[in-house]
Amino acid sequence: MKSRMAVVGVGQTSYKRAHTELSSADMIWEAAEKALDDAGMDISAVDAIVMGVAPDALAGENGVEKTAIFGAGKPYVRVNTGGVTGSSAAFAGASYVGSGRAKVSLVISLERMGQATTSQQVFNTIFDPVYEKDFPLTTITMAALRASMLMRVYGYSERDWAEIASRNYRNALKNPLAHIHKDLSPEDILASPLLAWPIHRFEACPMSEGACALVIAGESSVGDRVPAWLQGMASTSDAYAMGDRFHRPEGTLVDLLSLRRSAERAYADAGITDARKDIDVVELYSPFSSAEAMAYPALGFCAPEHGPRFVQEQFTDLSLPSFNPSGGPQAANPVSATAMVRIAEAALQVRGMAGERQVPGVRRAVATGQGGATQFSTVCVLGIERPD
Amino acid sequence: MTDTTELITIPGNWNFDYTYFAGEAASRFFAALKDSQQIMGARCPSCQRVLVPARSFCDACFKRTADWVPVGPEGTLETFTIITAAFPGLPKPPIVMAYVTLDGADTALVNMVNGLDLSDIGAAAAQLQRQPRVRAKFIDEPQGRITDLSFVLI
Amino acid sequence: MPIYIEGVALEISFADARRNLSELIFDTVRASVDDSGREMDEIDSVVLAAHDLVDGRSLSSMVTAPAAGAYLRDEIRFSDDGAAAFAAAMTRLEAGDNRRSIVAAWGRSSEHDPDAFSRALFDPYMTRPLGLDEFVLSAMRAQLLLSSDGGVREAHERAVTRRRDAAGRNPRALKAGGFTSAPHFPLDTGDMPLWADITVSMVLSTEPTAIRVTGMGQSSEPYLFGDRPLRSIRSLSQAADRALAEAGTPGTAMDVAEVDGLTLIDEALGLEAVGLAPAGEGMLGLADDPRANPSGGGASGYSRPAMGLLRIAEAILQLRGQAGPVQLDGVRTALASGSSTVAGQTQTVIVLEAA
Repeated sequence: MKSRMAVVGVGQTSYKRAHTELSSADMIWEAAEKALDDAGMDISAVDAIVMGVAPDALAGENGVEKTAIFGAGKPYVRVNTGGVTGSSAAFAGASYVGSGRAKVSLVISLERMGQATTSQQVFNTIFDPVYEKDFPLTTITMAALRASMLMRVYGYSERDWAEIASRNYRNALKNPLAHIHKDLSPEDILASPLLAWPIHRFEACPMSEGACALVIAGESSVGDRVPAWLQGMASTSDAYAMGDRFHRPEGTLVDLLSLRRSAERAYADAGITDARKDIDVVELYSPFSSAEAMAYPALGFCAPEHGPRFVQEQFTDLSLPSFNPSGGPQAANPVSATAMVRIAEAALQVRGMAGERQVPGVRRAVATGQGGATQFSTVCVLGIERPD
Repeated sequence: MTDTTELITIPGNWNFDYTYFAGEAASRFFAALKDSQQIMGARCPSCQRVLVPARSFCDACFKRTADWVPVGPEGTLETFTIITAAFPGLPKPPIVMAYVTLDGADTALVNMVNGLDLSDIGAAAAQLQRQPRVRAKFIDEPQGRITDLSFVLI
Repeated sequence: MPIYIEGVALEISFADARRNLSELIFDTVRASVDDSGREMDEIDSVVLAAHDLVDGRSLSSMVTAPAAGAYLRDEIRFSDDGAAAFAAAMTRLEAGDNRRSIVAAWGRSSEHDPDAFSRALFDPYMTRPLGLDEFVLSAMRAQLLLSSDGGVREAHERAVTRRRDAAGRNPRALKAGGFTSAPHFPLDTGDMPLWADITVSMVLSTEPTAIRVTGMGQSSEPYLFGDRPLRSIRSLSQAADRALAEAGTPGTAMDVAEVDGLTLIDEALGLEAVGLAPAGEGMLGLADDPRANPSGGGASGYSRPAMGLLRIAEAILQLRGQAGPVQLDGVRTALASGSSTVAGQTQTVIVLEAA
């Protein structure tokens, strides 16, 4: 039924505020070339290309993804699902392989927001022009609305958000590709300006440019390459209006329902029954450190009411998974690519190719994606074992 | 080509104009705000939820809604944030934004909360964390826009 | 594993102030699900084609995906042509990732400026400063085509008339409202697409129905127009070759072809590319071949990025015998194509047959 496939190539540019020396086409090329080199393949081996680029307004170019379709003559489609663009694109590439129409897919995502001088205003246009544009609804205030509810309902503190953020920054010091290389303590983070209570500036993600690419090969094309087998992939879309998510029986605003549903399906496919034991690394997409905490129960790491305790356990219990060894989106957030970067980093961990940030003995890693106001969630499970 | 090629940047702007059709449902919702200071919800005949703002279909059941019912004017504040940083194009901080479930509604509505003492952000936050009861307050001359109303603590 | 069409619906309107974009989408998607006879519970995938700059907000699928049935489902949005979304939906079903999928595409010309959209497709360095839009590229192709051969010019006049008549007889075409962009020489008003509000939706699954997809092919060309052959649409030829090879039939054997093109010139070149007309005779085909775009093509209503899915929908109606006054006799095989920005840089071809 479901065919077996693996990530056999990873390519990333570095992530920074602006790649002033590179055109958009250059960035696409660089990531794709690195991924193909890693896979020991030529573009001629690729049967389908999936390109992920989120809001065009961030790049200021309509169709920026069209600028570098090299290897002309390949099937080529573009995905735009906001923050999950990178993982949606990877899943779409996987579907081409799974359908048998491609032996190998090349999936690429590009973030060119360094060209935008008013990116926050662009983010603000994601909201409903009829009912919401008159309010300061931004990605930051949306997260703050959730964060304050998490504090009320589950007893999180501002310190918890700061400790999560600090851990991410610390991990990023070992990732040469990351945008932010700063060893910020929880105190530094709490001292940073308050953006929207309870979120402080250093809990928000940077605005980064960069490109990421993956080579996904069907089983018969893996050969003697080093694979990170795709053991489970799932995507779920929720209702748009945050206000619709308070009182429904399926799950409240902070239950991260779409992530929970995706995790259930991906874990079932991957044979994960105990997240705490079965997973070694989590590359977790959260645009804010408070949003990361919201993901823990959804991913099966703890009961919702034990969330604050789990935040502390991460620092003391070494049997638990390592979170964001790359530094996560806190250290680099090239929006269109961020969800693919999580898969790329998870794949590097599984393949033992993560350099200084390598976690020892990784058998299985999970990469998540978040888009919209936690409306879209993806979960991708990668591992050293080929699925049955 | 030498290593000292000057890197060119080209300034530009990204300016698109749109006409958004609000549609009959939203127009009717706004008319109720303007003409009778009523906040309307619409009931889904399948799940029976009263959806606010009133809308023409329920996306969970994927069915058209049926009756329209007024909700509020009082309700419960579910969650909030206090905006302290200024953003271009948005009102001057500090601003309180909150989701409120109006009495009779099954979904929450976002709007500003006015009339709070914001000189001590922490104290204001503690007050709002208690999920206070609020009332929708209309401006003197409603325009038929969502900004016709805001919330005040009761 | 073959893919079947279970339901289809489409609407071409203009500036209907009673409905916002989400409501327009809901109406068409709901109609396609009703047409399929299936329940929402049976649908586990939603594949969309829509563009932020057409919809007028960034990440427009936040608001529109739920209107297309995405609530708690596996949904993906392509900022690409509707036929590309159709192809992607096929791969999901063929891979066993999903059982049954909605595929929907839309674009509302009454809400956005299609010329501004087109101009913004050009890179800020080499081409945008010249004020190019996609019609300029079409006009250049037209110049080559029409200046070389008196026979082609004569066929062109007849093709314009035929297309206008077909749109007039197609009950689904836009009857009032809409607008056209100012044509660049040598294009004329009759070559231009009629900007309209388009919503299209269908339901696909692996369970047999009367309409089966027999082939799918895709391809792409370089970004810069100067890098592409001018007199032919290479990516469309390649996509068609792939789709027809899978279907095991040549383009000439198609009982109907619904070929997407921004202008009538692009439609004519498209006929050659998909093999319905020999090289150099696409305009003749558009003028005389009843199989070519019986729906009236772009004259019936146009908006990116919905057109490939609209072409597929019209082909399906022909196969079902539901095309009304523009119905052809004995339609058993159909080909439909969709083209993306920039000026048809990527193409998707779908081949279908009636049981």
